[in-house]
Amino acid sequence: MSKIFHLSIIMMTLFIIPTVSLAFAAETAGEYIDRKAEIWNLFFRMMTVAFVVGGVIAGTMVWQVWRFRESNPNSKPTEYEEKGEF
Amino acid sequence: MAHSNWAEWIYLGVVTALLIYVGAEAWNIERIIDHAPEDAEIIKVTAQQWFWSFEHEDGTKEVGELHLKKDHAYKFEIQSKDVVHNFNIPEYVVLLDAIPGRINTVWFSPNEAGEFDIQCREYCGLIHYNMRAKLFVEDI
Amino acid sequence: MVLELGKARPVWQIMFSTHHTDVGLLYLVFSLLALFVGGAMAIALRVELFAPGVQLIEDSMTYNRLFTAHGTTMIFLFLLPSATAVGNYLVPIMVRYKDMAYPKLNAIAFWMIPPAAVLVWLGMADFGWYANPPYSVISAPAPAAEMWIFGLKMLGVSSILSSINFVVTIMKCKHPDLSLGKISLLSWSFLSSSIIVLAAMPTFAAALLMLLTDRLGASGFFNPAMGGDPIAYSHLFWFTFHPEVYVLVIPAIGMMYEIIPRFSRRPIFSHYSGVAAFIILAIVSFASWAHHMFATGMSFTEKTVFMVGTLAAVPASAMHVFNFLATMWNGRIKFATPMMWAVGGIALFFAAGAGGVVNTAMPLDFITHDSYWVVGHFHLFVFGTIAFGTIGFVYYLFPYITGRMYNEKLGVVHFILAFVGACITFFTQHILGLFGMPRRVYDYPEIDEWVSMNALISVGAMIILVGMVIFLGNLIYSSAKGKPANLEDPFGLGGKYYYPFAQRNPHHGKGGY
Repeated sequence: MSKIFHLSIIMMTLFIIPTVSLAFAAETAGEYIDRKAEIWNLFFRMMTVAFVVGGVIAGTMVWQVWRFRESNPNSKPTEYEEKGEF
Repeated sequence: MAHSNWAEWIYLGVVTALLIYVGAEAWNIERIIDHAPEDAEIIKVTAQQWFWSFEHEDGTKEVGELHLKKDHAYKFEIQSKDVVHNFNIPEYVVLLDAIPGRINTVWFSPNEAGEFDIQCREYCGLIHYNMRAKLFVEDI
Repeated sequence: MVLELGKARPVWQIMFSTHHTDVGLLYLVFSLLALFVGGAMAIALRVELFAPGVQLIEDSMTYNRLFTAHGTTMIFLFLLPSATAVGNYLVPIMVRYKDMAYPKLNAIAFWMIPPAAVLVWLGMADFGWYANPPYSVISAPAPAAEMWIFGLKMLGVSSILSSINFVVTIMKCKHPDLSLGKISLLSWSFLSSSIIVLAAMPTFAAALLMLLTDRLGASGFFNPAMGGDPIAYSHLFWFTFHPEVYVLVIPAIGMMYEIIPRFSRRPIFSHYSGVAAFIILAIVSFASWAHHMFATGMSFTEKTVFMVGTLAAVPASAMHVFNFLATMWNGRIKFATPMMWAVGGIALFFAAGAGGVVNTAMPLDFITHDSYWVVGHFHLFVFGTIAFGTIGFVYYLFPYITGRMYNEKLGVVHFILAFVGACITFFTQHILGLFGMPRRVYDYPEIDEWVSMNALISVGAMIILVGMVIFLGNLIYSSAKGKPANLEDPFGLGGKYYYPFAQRNPHHGKGGY
C-alpha cells in the first residue's frame, strides 16, 4: 500500500503535474515564459530521478558490501572456492 | 557460463526508459524557451577583454551596467571584439558564448525587480575572474 | 617483480630496457610522479581559493598558469601513462605472449613523455587544457603557448604509438588457443581504448598544428580577423577529447574487472556483457562531442542530436555497474585495500555519470556550463572513478612488482581520507556551480554561499592531500622494507589465478620474475 503511495507521488511530480500545468498554463499574468522557472523545474525533476536511482544503486551496494563481507558470521565460501579458479 | 540474464535486461530497460524520459523532457523545455517573442527589445551586448558594454534599441549605451524593465521581453545579440567570452546572468539562467565574428542570440523576460550579477563564463585571460557587470531591473 | 629494492638492479638497466614489465614500471613511476606534481598544483589552487582575496598567489596570471598545468599534468602525464603502465605490464601476460608486439617502439613511446612534460612544466601556458582560440592564438603569451603545443604534440604521438602496440599485441600476437572473446576484460579495455585513440587522436594533432600556424600568423583557421572560425577548433578538440575521456575511464573499469571478481571470490557475472559494453562504448563515444559546445550558439536540432548521442552512451556504462554489483552478490568479499578502492570507485562513477546526464539535458547546461558543477562532475570521474581504480590497482600490483606487501592499515586510512575528501570536495563543487560560480577564476566576490562552500572545498582537498602523503610514504617505505609477499596469493584469497603473474624478465636471471 505504501509502495503504491510512494510510486504515485513520484509519478505525479515527474510526469503528470508538469504536463498538465504546461498544457493549461495560460500565460496571462507574466505574458512571457519564465525561463528560470522552467529550467530549474526541469533541474529538480532530473535531480529526483537521479537521487532515486542513486539511492537504489548505492543502497544495493551498501547492503551487499555489508552482507557479503568475509567477516560476516553468515558468510559462506562461494562455489568457486572449491574449484580454486576464479 | 550460461546463466539467466533476465535481471540485466530488465535493468537496461529501466535505464533506457529513464534516459528517454530525460531526453524528452529536456527537448520539450528547450523548445519552449527557445522562441523569442516578436516584441522583444533587442539589446546588443559586446564582450571584450575585460568588460561588458550594452546598446539599447534607441541607441542608449551602457558600460558595466544594464538597466532593464521588469516583465518586458529582451533579446540579447551577443558579440565579442577579441576572444571568446560568455555572457551570463546566473539569476535568470541566461548564458551564451560571445564569439568574435558571430552574433549569438538569447531572450528572456526578467520577472523580478532588483540588482543582479552579470559575469563572464568562458576563460578569457588575465581579468576573466573579474569581468563582471550589474543588471538593474526596474519596476515600472 | 621488477623493482626488488632489496637486490636493486642498476637503474640504467631499467631505463634502457624494452621488456614490457620494465617499460610498464617506467610508465608507472613517471605517472605517480606526475600525480604528486599535479596534486601539489591543485593544493596551491585550493589554498588560493580558500577565501576571497589573495591567499597564496599574488597575481591572476600565475593562477591561470597553475590551473592549466594542473589539468594538463593530470590528464596527459598521470591518467594516460598510468593506464599504459598497467597495460604494458599485464596485457602481454594476459594474451600469453612474450612481450608487446613492438618492444622498442614501446620504449620510445614512453621516452617521449618526460621531454614533453618538461616542455609543459617549463612553459606553463595559461589557457587551460582546452587552449581554445582566439585567446590561445592572439592573446596567450609566448613561448608558453608554443611549448605547450609542442609538448602535447609529443604526448599525442606517444599515445598513438602505444595504442598501435596494444592493438597489434592483442589482436595479432595473442596465443592461438585464445579467442578474442575470451581474453580478459582488462585486455578488452585496452583494446577498446586503444582503438578510440587511433580514431580520435589524429584530429587533435591536426588542431594543434593549425593552432601553431595560426599563432605564427601563417594561417587563420581559428582567427576571425583572418577569416577563420573559433568554433572549428572546438569541434576538432572535442571530437578527440570526448572519446578521449572514455579512453581515460575504460582502462580503470578494466582494472576494476580484475579486482572485483578476484576479491569477491567469484568470476565476473557476465564476461560477454563486459565485452559488449566496451565495444558499444568505443563506438558511441564518438556521437557526443558537441555536448561540450551547447553554449556556443548551436541550433536546437544540433543540440538535440548530441544530447541523444550522449545519452546513448549511458546504458553501456550502466552495464558495467550492473556487472560489478552482480559479481559481488553471493560472494565472500575480502575488503583489502584494492577492493575498497574499486568499490568506492564504482559508487563515485555512478554519481559522476548522473551529473553528466544533467549536463546533457540541453536547457540545464545553461545552469551548469563552465561553472563549478562541471569541475565537480569531471573530478568525480577522473579522481573518484579513474584515480580510485588506478590507485587500487597500484596497491594490487604492488606485491607483484616489488615482492613486498604495502602496509594494509595505511592503505585503508588512505582510502577513507580520499573517499571522504572526494565527497566533500567534489559534491560541494556541484552545489557551488548551481550557485553560479564560474570555473577558471583566480578570485571571486564576497557572495556568502560562495565563500563558505569554497572554504569547505579547500578543506576537502586538504583531507585528500593527507591521504596522498600517506600513500607516498607507504609506497616508498614498503618497496624497500615491506614484509615479503607470498607471490602465489599475496592477498590470501585462495584459489589460483588463471594467468601467471610470474613473468620472466630477462634481466633478472634464472628464478627471477
